[in-house]
Amino acid sequence: MTIEPRAFLALDSGAATTAAALIGRVGGRWRLIGSLSMPAGSDVEAIISVLGDRAVAADPSLAASLELRVGNAVDLPRLEVASHPPQRMAVVAASERALAPLVATASRSGWRTVSGSAESMDPLAMTTMLLDGGVAGVLVGASDPPAADERRALGELAALAAAAGRRRDVTVVLAGGMSEYLSAFGDVATRAGEVLLGPAAKRGAPGGPLAELLVDLALPPDDARRALGAGAMALAEILDRRVDVVEIGFDAGTRAAAGPGVAGGAPVLDLAVVPTAALAPADPDDAVVDRVGLWSTWGADRHRLRDRLRELRIAPWADATADGSTLRMAAARAALGRLDEWTPDWSERPPADLVVATGGAWAVAPAPAVALALVDVLRRPGAGQFALDHARILAPLGSIPDADERRAMVSDLVDDLLAPLGTVVTPAGMHTGRSAGSVVVHGSDGSTRLDLMPGSLALIDLPPGTSAVAEFKFRDTVKLGARGRHFAIDVTGGLGGLVVDLRDVPLKLPDRADLRGELLESWQTAIVTGREV
Amino acid sequence: MSATDVGLVAARRLIAAPIDGVFALAPGDRPLVAAGDSVVVGAPIAERLRDPRLDEMDIPEEVVAQPGGRWAGPPRRGHDRGPGGEYVFDWNGRWRVATGDIADAIESPFAGIVREVRPGTGITIRAAGRGIRGVVALGSPTRGRLQTSASGELRAGGLDVGSAGTILVVGSRVDAETLTRARAMGVCGVVVAGLSSKERRDFVASEARQRAALHRLPAFAVLVLDGAVRRPLAGAVQAVLAALVGREVAIVTDPPTLVFDLPNLVIPDPPIDLVRIRAGALAGREGRFVRAVGPRRFAGGVQLEAGIVHLPDGTTAAVPLGDLERFV
Repeated sequence: MTIEPRAFLALDSGAATTAAALIGRVGGRWRLIGSLSMPAGSDVEAIISVLGDRAVAADPSLAASLELRVGNAVDLPRLEVASHPPQRMAVVAASERALAPLVATASRSGWRTVSGSAESMDPLAMTTMLLDGGVAGVLVGASDPPAADERRALGELAALAAAAGRRRDVTVVLAGGMSEYLSAFGDVATRAGEVLLGPAAKRGAPGGPLAELLVDLALPPDDARRALGAGAMALAEILDRRVDVVEIGFDAGTRAAAGPGVAGGAPVLDLAVVPTAALAPADPDDAVVDRVGLWSTWGADRHRLRDRLRELRIAPWADATADGSTLRMAAARAALGRLDEWTPDWSERPPADLVVATGGAWAVAPAPAVALALVDVLRRPGAGQFALDHARILAPLGSIPDADERRAMVSDLVDDLLAPLGTVVTPAGMHTGRSAGSVVVHGSDGSTRLDLMPGSLALIDLPPGTSAVAEFKFRDTVKLGARGRHFAIDVTGGLGGLVVDLRDVPLKLPDRADLRGELLESWQTAIVTGREV
Repeated sequence: MSATDVGLVAARRLIAAPIDGVFALAPGDRPLVAAGDSVVVGAPIAERLRDPRLDEMDIPEEVVAQPGGRWAGPPRRGHDRGPGGEYVFDWNGRWRVATGDIADAIESPFAGIVREVRPGTGITIRAAGRGIRGVVALGSPTRGRLQTSASGELRAGGLDVGSAGTILVVGSRVDAETLTRARAMGVCGVVVAGLSSKERRDFVASEARQRAALHRLPAFAVLVLDGAVRRPLAGAVQAVLAALVGREVAIVTDPPTLVFDLPNLVIPDPPIDLVRIRAGALAGREGRFVRAVGPRRFAGGVQLEAGIVHLPDGTTAAVPLGDLERFV
């Protein structure tokens, strides 16, 4: 006889953070009892033990109903995912023109990339790159059909790649027109690493079938980022809304766009894993450092900033107070920017109804500051809700293999797993220098009116769990999803309330570091304290 | 102190074992060892081409050439070995062979057993001995007698030729000028707690120039144990290094490790409650972990899980658990 457990643990073992959540059966449904996040080097059993003991101390009767006693949380069943460090893929093509879309696809599909084309790299350097001990996958691609400038070099490229395939543990993907050269690889059945045929990469559209194949190769079955996609899809189905999950982690950034099935169709999911969008890249170059500097209120020179980023990489949980916390948020914004750049296909979709932030980057940030970081970087005209996967259980729930069971679990936990950050309304196209109009928020306890000044952040207190209708009247036609002057939008509350973001889309920051720092600090203060700027 | 509470502090391994050192090879480099071979300290394990190039060759049909195999050119006058190279790939009936005129010997800085040899990729050797892991090692694998600098922090002017042949432990931080001077004076390597990005960049540029030079200096490596900012070496690490003074040690760059082969050296486990503060106002100090106290509000309004640490001066401090580390 199998006895269904009354409680279980959801564990997300990241490269920098171990997150444990205790989930129990209360009142006929699964509820989040508590959660704890700790640095990855901590003892997992100790984390679970402390989490269980705190639950017992906080509510002994609830703990008793879950058969939870001091010290016995470690015996609970576990639902566990782990994020794995991205591996390196060498991407080669006959021409620079053919190489660019391949790199764009591989870089958003869970692989760190090194690349070169027969045009720009001599065969010895290319062989050295392919044989490097750190390379776990090789992507050799061509247009389909190959373009005139590629055809001449394809034969030699295939011979070179096949010879470098003497490292028989390396997975090789032949994409597009390169598939015709499979015979150069000999008897592929005897290799430890697979030789796979894939479709051609599309210029300007890095997602698609090749990206799906590469994601599948990059992420092991129990990988947290893979599970995050399934979790996002379950969430979209339960809420019947378009959901964007944005993760900034130690080793990569992830973006999952999920939507419910339309007219009885299957739900849709697009998953992008971008290793270059990691919170603190291992070897931050000038571009990375400058980008963090752009968002930093700290005013450090490039060398000191690079030192701090290296320290953040080595010990991601250390120095998280005072200016350490602002550095983290600057690094998170910079990582979000890189994530946005590598996923251009997201800007072609309608804005998501709900954006969920997750990942270690947000572990020590105040919740409203997370919302501000997201809207600072992922700026699109429109209105949307923002939430935080504060206990980091979306990925463990996404790892439940049975889709019905997964949906049932997410349905039970949906109110607990998302900490509502609030609704952000971002109109675009206002004229600066004068009032753009006004907004009246009709809530259950009366109405609040606010003038809308372009360039500012207007904040309206709307606590979590409340909803209201925001009626916007603009002087000029603006873009807010559609173009118009009058809008009535259903808004829900959150830890940051209702934020009317009247700043530029995309955001324009002053060139002078001191002015920029002041402005960033004023926005941060406004959103955390609730005072308008 | 409860063992569960201290388990919340991130653990760092004091001594690593076994250590599989990787020596990268490029196409054309010639491995001199095979998997399973036993190597001694200083044994040549490969020849690295200084100026590799790809030549096109007509290979006689009776020769069985395959990628990664060795190509041997006709012997020179007398008994001199002819030019050598590595078959890279065959295109249109002609082989591309990686070859070069000058080769440097790569020596194993430690004794061990060859685990794997992959021409064009690398040689992996399992070291006989143990090691202290660092966060990064710059330069090339090296070995020497371990010596500590007198003052704890080394300046360029403080170096003398008496340190030639040694691996110097220089304390909390070092600058690029000291590193290049040390290399020029015959010092084999430097072990340091922190190396800032600027000094690192300058040193790497200097190393690159050295590699490009015709007459090279001997191998030199910098092993960074902690990070990029100034902080003293951890007490537990200092104790091991003190026990190794005067002994032959090696620095390998992949993984970044100080390797020593002293089977009789007993390294006691650090006390279970001994913690080191990595960051913040008390960075570098060590103390005894008393207990975890749950979430606390710290500077900047940040809520973090905290622990009480009893410091040697008799004071106690609430420190974010993320700022602490312990050695196991």
